[in-house]
Amino acid sequence: MDSSLVTFGSWLQNRSFALAVATSDWAYPFVQATHFTGLSLWVGTTVATDLSLLGMGNQYQTPLQLFNVLFVWNWVGFCIAVLGGFLLFSASAATYLINPAFLTKLGVLIPMALMLHIVIQRKMREWGRQETPRVARIAGLVELLFWISVVSAAVSIPYFG
Amino acid sequence: MRRREISNVLTHFGEALQDNSLIVMLNSVGWMAATLEIVHYFGMFVLVGSIAVIDLRVMGLAGQQQSATKLAQRLFPWMWVGLALNFLSGFVMFGGIAASYIPDSTFHLKMEVVLAAVIFGIIVQWKVPAWDRLPAMPMGAKLIAAISLLLWVGAILAGNELPALSGLG
Repeated sequence: MDSSLVTFGSWLQNRSFALAVATSDWAYPFVQATHFTGLSLWVGTTVATDLSLLGMGNQYQTPLQLFNVLFVWNWVGFCIAVLGGFLLFSASAATYLINPAFLTKLGVLIPMALMLHIVIQRKMREWGRQETPRVARIAGLVELLFWISVVSAAVSIPYFG
Repeated sequence: MRRREISNVLTHFGEALQDNSLIVMLNSVGWMAATLEIVHYFGMFVLVGSIAVIDLRVMGLAGQQQSATKLAQRLFPWMWVGLALNFLSGFVMFGGIAASYIPDSTFHLKMEVVLAAVIFGIIVQWKVPAWDRLPAMPMGAKLIAAISLLLWVGAILAGNELPALSGLG
């Protein structure tokens, strides 16, 4: 299992696009900036929605109304973040695939956070009315903590490198 | 002559920061240094995500079914919270190696872009209610929002250029 992951990683990081990101002086910061711009849209809109479920901030609109405005750009941000993230990953895939912080981030925290995110979005019609049920508040708080833990795992990657 | 005095003051300020025991501790204890980075990134995401959606709304690319004023009133507080988290954590990390940051031209560029982005953010926050009362968003409003958005992307890029060009950060 481990060695096949590393084989895949070595194959990926020798693709021409991965080599281009890894070896060019200017490409890497641009790809990083793409990843972070996508994340800003994704995390910014997600945090705003979760905080509104928690009843924090002003209440000029219901969580559902806010969610309806943010939904499209939430997923646009996700796609940009994944694109940038995949390119960053492919630049040194074999190293990432043996890094415990990276594996925890991608294999555990992101799938769990993402599943909860989708559950919240599907429940929004029910949860996002005037009276937010207790379960919605808990879900919002847990999702917030999940994304903080994803950022924490990402920041920890170099500490294990 | 003036320039030299300012540069002296800045150098002393940088040395004082680097010698400050709290700043030294926050940057040298492993988990505290990691926490600074986490707060810096998370604050940045909240800051840029909030202002970006407001800019996109003014540009006519998001949430046309809802008033821009309502959306801005909801998101601007989070923009300021994000900026405060981002700035405070950034300041402590800067303090840890201030003497290297202060003369660095890429760092100057990053600070200039961030300052310009904050100024445009304030303009957008201040003008949104007036723009929103008009039958359609004026062209100037869309232009200001587009510049605000580009400046934030530019600030992120400048932040990533720092380690690439100067080996800092």
